[in-house]
Order: sequence, then C-alpha cells, then structure tokens
Amino acid sequence: MEKMSRVTTALGGSALTGHTMHCHLDAPANAISVCRDAAQVVVAGRSIFKIYAIEEEQFVEKLNLRVGRKPSLNLSCADVVWHQMDENLLATAATNGVVVTWNLGRPSRNKQDQLFTEHKRTVNKVCFHPSEAHVLLSGSQDGFMKCFDLRKKDSVSTFSGQSESVRDVQFSIRDYFTFASTFENGNVQLWDIRRPDRCERMFTAHNGPVFCCDWHPDDRGWLATGGRDKMVKVWDMTTHRAKEMHCVQTIASVARVKWRPECRHHLATCSMMVDHNIYVWDVRRPFVPAAMFEEHRDVTTGIAWRHPHDPSFLLSGSKDSTLCQHLFRDASQPVERANPEGLCYGLFGDLAFAAKESLVATDSGRKPYAGDRRHPIFFKRKLDPAEPFTGLASSALSVFEMEPGSGSMSWFVDTAERYALAGRPLAELCDHNAKVARELGRNQVAQTWTMLRMIYCSPGVVPTTNLNHSVGKGSSCGLPLMNSFNLKDMSQGLGSETRLDRSKGDTRSDTVLLDSSATLITNEDNEETEGSDVPADYLLGDVEGEEEELYLLDPEHAHTEEPEYVLPQEAFPLRHEIVDTPPGPEHLQDKAESPHVSGSEADAASLAPVDASFSLISVSHALYDSRLPPDFFSALVCDMLRFYAEQGDVQMAVSVLIVLGERVRKDIDEQTQEHWYTSYIDLLQRFCLWNVSNQVVKLSTSRAISCLNQASTTLHVNCSHCKRPMSSRGWVCDRCHRCASMCAVCHHVVKGLFVWCQGCSHGGHLQHIMKWLEGSSHCPAGCGHLCEYS
Amino acid sequence: MFVARSIAADHKDLIHDVSFDFHGRRMATCSSDQSVKVWDKSENGDWHCTASWKTHSGSVWRVTWAHPEFGQVLASCSFDRTAAVWEEIVGESNDKLRGQSHWVKRTTLVDSRTSVTDVKFAPKHMGLMLATCSADGIVRIYEAPDVMNLSQWSLQHEISCKLSCSCISWNPSSSRAHSPMIAVGSDDSSPSAMAKVQIFEYNENTRKYAKAETLMTVTDAVHDIAFAPNLGRSYHILAIATKDVRIFTLKPVRKELTSSGGPTKFEIHIVAQFDNHNSQVWRVSWNITGTVLASSGDDGCVRLWKANYMDNWKCTGILKGNGSPVNGSSQQGNSNPSLGSNIPNLQNSLNGSSSGRKHS
Repeated sequence: MEKMSRVTTALGGSALTGHTMHCHLDAPANAISVCRDAAQVVVAGRSIFKIYAIEEEQFVEKLNLRVGRKPSLNLSCADVVWHQMDENLLATAATNGVVVTWNLGRPSRNKQDQLFTEHKRTVNKVCFHPSEAHVLLSGSQDGFMKCFDLRKKDSVSTFSGQSESVRDVQFSIRDYFTFASTFENGNVQLWDIRRPDRCERMFTAHNGPVFCCDWHPDDRGWLATGGRDKMVKVWDMTTHRAKEMHCVQTIASVARVKWRPECRHHLATCSMMVDHNIYVWDVRRPFVPAAMFEEHRDVTTGIAWRHPHDPSFLLSGSKDSTLCQHLFRDASQPVERANPEGLCYGLFGDLAFAAKESLVATDSGRKPYAGDRRHPIFFKRKLDPAEPFTGLASSALSVFEMEPGSGSMSWFVDTAERYALAGRPLAELCDHNAKVARELGRNQVAQTWTMLRMIYCSPGVVPTTNLNHSVGKGSSCGLPLMNSFNLKDMSQGLGSETRLDRSKGDTRSDTVLLDSSATLITNEDNEETEGSDVPADYLLGDVEGEEEELYLLDPEHAHTEEPEYVLPQEAFPLRHEIVDTPPGPEHLQDKAESPHVSGSEADAASLAPVDASFSLISVSHALYDSRLPPDFFSALVCDMLRFYAEQGDVQMAVSVLIVLGERVRKDIDEQTQEHWYTSYIDLLQRFCLWNVSNQVVKLSTSRAISCLNQASTTLHVNCSHCKRPMSSRGWVCDRCHRCASMCAVCHHVVKGLFVWCQGCSHGGHLQHIMKWLEGSSHCPAGCGHLCEYS
Repeated sequence: MFVARSIAADHKDLIHDVSFDFHGRRMATCSSDQSVKVWDKSENGDWHCTASWKTHSGSVWRVTWAHPEFGQVLASCSFDRTAAVWEEIVGESNDKLRGQSHWVKRTTLVDSRTSVTDVKFAPKHMGLMLATCSADGIVRIYEAPDVMNLSQWSLQHEISCKLSCSCISWNPSSSRAHSPMIAVGSDDSSPSAMAKVQIFEYNENTRKYAKAETLMTVTDAVHDIAFAPNLGRSYHILAIATKDVRIFTLKPVRKELTSSGGPTKFEIHIVAQFDNHNSQVWRVSWNITGTVLASSGDDGCVRLWKANYMDNWKCTGILKGNGSPVNGSSQQGNSNPSLGSNIPNLQNSLNGSSSGRKHS
C-alpha cells in the first residue's frame, strides 16, 4: 500500500500498522498518553489506571497500575503523561491535588515512585520537560503551577498565575525554559521556568476558560488554544505581542487540542460536553472539519497521536469506557459530503445557482479541485509550504435571468391581467380571451377559447331575432357591469389602464360581432335588466351608506354607460342569471342551418390562425350538422380542463371554469375545483396580482374560496370631526351626528374610494387629496396636521 | 435565452444553498462560513446584499423562506446540530440608511443530536410549520401554534427514517384530497443497498405521520429531493437528485378502493431518468408551475428538463455555471413559453388528454 510505504519512510524502518479498533475499559477514562515507542498507551481515570499494548488487531492489557486493596484518592487520576525520553517514567495528576510519578522499572508490583502533595486542589495537568529527564510541571485548580525535580522530594519552584485555576501547562518545544499555561479566566501566560516571580507575558485568548493548549511540533512559535467559547485559536508567540493567526469555530467547547504530526495546519480537537466526536481541522479552512471520528458514544476525554511523526493514527479515550485507535483514512470527511451547489428556480423563470468555483471554472488557468476526492490532500506526506492551499473552497454565485419575452413568466402575468372572466356574454368573453391568448402567442389556448365559444354559443351570432334579443340583453347589461368593475379596479389603483384598454377593445369587438344586435338594445331589455338588478342592489345598499343611488338604475341611465356609474359589487352573480338563459337548446332548435354555420365558420376562420383552423372548423361543422347539444361536449370540456391543470396551466382551467360557470361546474367535483382555485390564487399572489386574485376569489363559486375574501375585512375608522372611533356602521358619527366621509377638499360626501390620513382622520377623494398633497403637505382640512399617506 | 448575472457573494467558504422568497424578489444564501446573506433585487435587476450575519457555529446547510403571510422569516439549519428561525426587523433607521436590514433569531431548535441537514417550511395552508431532518435519521416537525409568536415552536412529530437523512420536501398540494405528505431522501453511505427515498403521510385518524411509500429503485445516496408545485394536478411529481436525475409520478389510487383510514396508496412510475451530468447530481429545483425541472451536478452545469405533451421528458437547456454557453444547448424549450406550445392543435391535445396521460 502506498500509504503504508510512506509511513515506513517516515518512521525510518519501524512501520506502524493497524486499523480502526477499540477496546472496552472497565471505567471511564479521563486522560491517555502514549509511550514514545508508539506501541503502548496508558489510560487513566477516576478508577482506572492501565497500560495497553497496541497490537495489530487489538489492544492488549499489559499492566494494571492500580494495586493495593484500599482505593486511594491518589489514584483518582485527572491527567496522565508518559515521559517522551524515558519509557519507564509516568506521572499522574490526582483529583485530590497529589502529583504521583511512576517507575515501570521497579521490580515490585507497585510501581509508584514519588508522591508530591503540595497542591491544595485538583491537579488538572502534568507535563514533562521535552528534553530534560527530571523536570515535571503541574498545574492545579488552586491557581498554582509547580515545577518538580524528580531527584528532589519537594517542588523546585512555584508559579502563581494570580488569575484563577490553571487548566493546562505545556512546555515549549522551541525554548528550553519557556512554558505556557492557560487559565479559567481566559488568559494564557508565558513563563520562564527560571523566574517564578512573574510571568513573561500574558494575554487574554478566549472568552471564558481556556481548557487546553498545544505547541506546534514544527512551527515552534505557534501555540493552539481551545476554550469554552467553542473556538480554537492559533497564536504566533514569536512576535512581541501574541498574534492570532487562525481561529477555528467548533460546535462545542474545546477540551483538548493536539497538533497533527507532519501536517502543518492540522489539529485535532475534542469537546468536554454535548459533542462526542473528534475533529481534525485544517486551520486554513476554519469552518469545516477536514475529518471527523464518530466512534465514541460519550464525551471524548483524551486524544493523542500515536507517533510524533505519523499523521494517520489517533488514539482516544472516552467517558463511554472505551479506548479507540482511529485511522485517519477511515474518518468521515464532512467536506466531501457537503453539498457544493445550491440551485433555486425563481418566480420569473430565473435560476439562482451557486457552485464551488472549481466545478464551474473554465479549464484555462484554474487548477481543478475535483481530483482530490480520491486522493485527499491529507495523505500527502509533507505539505510544501510554498504550494498554495487547495483545500480552501469558495463558491461562485450567479443568477441566470430570462431575457424579457423569451420564456419568463410574463405570459402568465399578461394573461391574468388581460383575461375577461365575467361581466359580458360568454361569446364575448371567449373571443376576448382567445384574442388575448393569440396576442401572447399562445395559439393552442386561443384555439381552446374559440372552440369553447363554438361549443357553447356559436349560434349566438346567428342573426335571428330571437337570438338578437338575448344577446342584446346580455350586452346591454354586461357593459355597465364591466364598467363598474373597471371603476373599482381603478380605485384600487392598479392595472386600471389595461382594464380601460380592454373595455375599449371589447366595445370594438362588440361592434364587430354584434353589429346588428348591438343596435337592438330596446327599452324592454333594459327593463328586464333593471328588474334583475334591483334586488341585488338593495342587498348591498348599506355598503355605500344610506345614499339613495337608485336613480342610477333608471332605465334611461342603465345603458348610457356614464363613467361615474357605480354598480354595487354583488352585481356579478347576476351574470349567471343572464347567461343562464340557456342559449344552447333554443339555438339548436333554431335550426342551425348551413348558411348560418358557414357564417360562423367564416367568423371562426377569420379569428383562428390559418394553419390550424381547417381541421377545427371541419369538426365543428360536422358536429353542428348533427345538432349536438353543448351537454354533449361537457365531458370533453371537463377532460380538457383537467388536461390543462395536469399540464401545469391552472390559469386556463380556472379561467374557463369561471367563464363557463354552471355549464361545466357540475361535472367537476368540488374538491378539484377548490384545488384549482387555491392553486391559481396562490400563483396570482406570488406575482402580486392582488386585483386579479381578488376577482377570482369573488367569482369563484366554491364556498371555501369565496370566504377567503371575508377574512380580516374590518376597518377601524375615526370620525373626522370629533376624532373618536366610529362605532356604528355607515358613515354617520354617533356622537356628532355628522357625516364623516366628507372630502376635505371639495366638501362633498365621498362615494366610492375614500382616503384619509391616519393621524388626523381627515381625508377625501383620492384624486383630490393627491392633488392637494402635490402643493402642500399640511392637512387640507386646516387642522395643521402634517398628513402622511403610505 | 438566459443571461447570466454574476454576483460577488463574498462568502468565505462554500455556498450550500440559495433560496428565492415567495415573490422571487429576495434571495438568501447560506455557506459553510456559518453566515446567511439576504439579497434584494433592485429596480434595475441587480442583487444587493442587505443583510449578512453569523447564524450558526457550523456549516449552514440550508436556508429557506416562510410564506410572507407570516412575515419576513427565514429558517436555517447547520452542522452545529441546530436549526434556527430568523425574522427581519423593520424600523432600525440607522440600518435603513445604509440599505441594510436587521435579522434577529427567534428560536433555536436543538432537538437533534447530529447535524441538521435540511429545513423546510410546510405549505401555507397547513399553518406555520417547519420540518427538519438530521443525520441521525430523524425527521422532526415543529409548529408555531401562534403565528404572531415566532419564538415558540413545539415539536409535533418525530419520524424515524432509520437512515441518515439529507433532504426533505413537503408536498405543496393545497387540495383537501391530498393529506400532508413529506418525502425524505438519504445520503447514507452504508454499503447495504437500501431504498433511499421514503414518503410519509399524515394520517388524520391516528394524527401521526406514517410511511406511505418507499421508492425501492433509488438505492444510491440522494442529495436533493423536490416535489413539483402542484397547481391543480391530481397526482404528484417528485424529482430526485442522486447519481442521476430522476422524476417520479405518484398517482393516488382512489381512496374508496383502499381500506379507509390507512395510508394512501400510490401508483408510482418513474417517468424520467437522466445521467447527462455524468456525475453526482446535487440539486433539483422546479419552476413555479412545476413544468420545468432544473438540476445541477458535479459537472458544474445546470440542465433544464421539460416534458412534452406525451409526458416525454427532454433536456431543453444547459447552463454553464460561469455563464458561458454550452455547445448543443437547445433552445426550443426556452424560446416558446406557452405550456402547450408543442401541441400542434387542439384536436391533438384533446386526444392527448386521454392517451398522453396514460402513457408513463
């Protein structure tokens, strides 16, 4: 194996082999330390102190150092360290403050060598001098660090950090006399072992306790520290002030940190709570761990690289009473599983795409990163410091936008805004919508509308008197209705222009299609219209207050289409009454003779695009010849609606549903209709087509849909005179008995759209107020208020 | 045709997710650098970063918008084992002047013991609900009982998937005929070839989510999963990003035929499977009408897929990540937006409605 051969060269002949394995301990471990031969590991804990041999396939217990019958607190270890020069020398830190040294060379079963009982509280850390055989350092909860000469009975010197408990002490590898200590208050101190009176240098490294530190084995001025603030920081200690070189943000407080051998920028960390995993970080990529070991089921308490020159074996002990050897090769690599791309389809057909730069890089100039999926950089024996770091990744973010008109959703918006759904006879609606569809280049949809018109009202253009009558009726009352709708929309401020355009266009198409019938609007017709309108108006009278608007329904006015004419909203349901006077059967009885058919044929042919019209017309011709009633088609039409819905064009389904009304509604189950309506309304709202959405809600026959318009419709207003809340319905104030809806500009009662300032309650006609505000920002009522309108 | 607009995202590490809001005027990105950025579209179409803040202490895998009815609300999930809900605060005149908005954390969901890999808001009609999935194989569904109080979320359901989860997708259908449904994908790399996509459905009677279906044919790691927007369709379309792009249809078998109360039975068909990316596919995303699917893979390309009236899915466009065009990208699908434009005339479409849909 390639890797193994590398390991061999690294260690000069004594190859390390092994694989990921673990063994069960009798008790939770608190710390581990490796012998310098890399073949033994010592595990220490509150009630365990054992040496294991690391063999090819397993850990083998070599020695139990807990001897004696009665358990001693001296054996309750918080830390353990194996001397890196003397294979027989170990030191432990006990939770009762005792520092014990052990000599494995002793012939007796009890290997205990020396006992230093100088600390008053738990000793958190012990550390041998890397090159001096007899020097041992300890750091304790009591805030003191002590240096022992193992040839003497007592400590040589005591260092007082004077800043809370000591969590870690580490001899520098670079300077013979220097050691670093970390404290619970977030400080790191640098000491000269010859000068116990005060520290050489001190700086605050973390927020909260600094639990651990580790000197870089090669880069001798680098110190890594880990703290409860979940960070690992790398400091350059060679400069005058400690300089933060890197900062790694981990997900839990950092209990141990160990530089990885032979990998300049790698370090391993484990946490003391919540997180049981061991992470290996590349400090240059501080957000994503390079590797992750997930074997432990409880907090990992001790980590150690097995050999100081082998980056592939990591040993760990844990509170879950296991000792593990991790092979770097077997580590999970979150980087590799992380998604390198983000993609989102926008509303208008635009696409947001973020991808790792190496994936989208053009071949020129940039080195692709894709290759290292199989050969991770971590297995390189030695990283050339001059070589740029390839592991750091960044993403390119771009938005692909549809060029206008080339497939964005503008067709949807246009269609939604321009379709006529109600207020006119079916034939006109169909023709209008077909026209809209054709103008937007949606020929199939246009065909469908034309087709629907043929199926349901084709004979409507046949100029028989009877038919003219009914059509005339429809148009005479349809147009004012349309107008009222326009006005309302205009008042809502949006889309008014297109609507006006549309109504103009409609009138034109009216004259084209109903040239003969349009002139036939008679008084009888209007009387009928009035008769059907009046009850509805009464229903709604209270909306406009108690104003007597009934004069508007006079026959003389009904067909004059004066622009001020405002019909109450619920006039729309009448549409059904009007169009429901079934044109179908009587038309068919009305003998659709061939001349008439040819008339409609010509009509349709002129409307339909040339290429596709022939087959259609021949179909309709055939059908009408055999005099089929529209009911015959309803199954087909329903099928077509479902087809459109399944194709994703719910707009068409809903539009046809509304336009055809009762004709098809009964054939489609309520649930499906409701689904279509909610889907379409949702879509309209996405495009902020609130007016259209509102219209659809209003025109829907499904109870669940139409009640959408009744939610949160309460408006609280103040009387413009007495400034008190209006309690009663209508616009007369209870208290001052004056009409509150007076325009502050023209002093007339406002009918229709009333706009007012929420600060002073004054307001009036929209146009008047807008005009006023152009010249002055003060209230037109003269109250001195600086009015604000949103 | 598409115009690529490159944005200097200035994230310090990989971007893992981008997400448009309901109206398509805002965009959120999240990255391994532990931050989320919000971008607003200006009048001239430029995207401006209006907020950038540190959200987690680990890689942020996903970011998603809530329906605007609930306010300007984002949810994020992270390697740090949490998911968080963020709300934009209006007012802050100082920030306003600088064109920056301010986001505050409303809640942290800490139930997972492992990396939270996906977070998705439920369709609006279900209320303010949130689903997360995590590497330990548990899907959690939270609900904010009071939509005005985003800091209170209660864990409603815990669904165990037995497999490390990588992605979830709610069925967006608003039809009463379709019970709430959630599809879960797994990127579990364990060698045992198990089905990696599971579909869970809410049962009204037991008030629990129960497994409705398992897509047995998907055995490779799944990176992304997406239900198509259901605009009045009677069946569901599910796109899956695995080693290739797959599109499934799920047609509910009529309730009367199945035992009442049990999970809905589905007729599942694979309608498309494309390995054109020649590599892992990382993301799938549907257009707003659920008619065009976009997928992106390790080849750095975005491919667009569209069905014709015969339900045959075809590639209609290829976009290179850096904006350069790719040879052979056909434009026929983009050039004509109308949905049925492939259909020569109505007669065909009517025939198609009976024959085309049965084909699958």
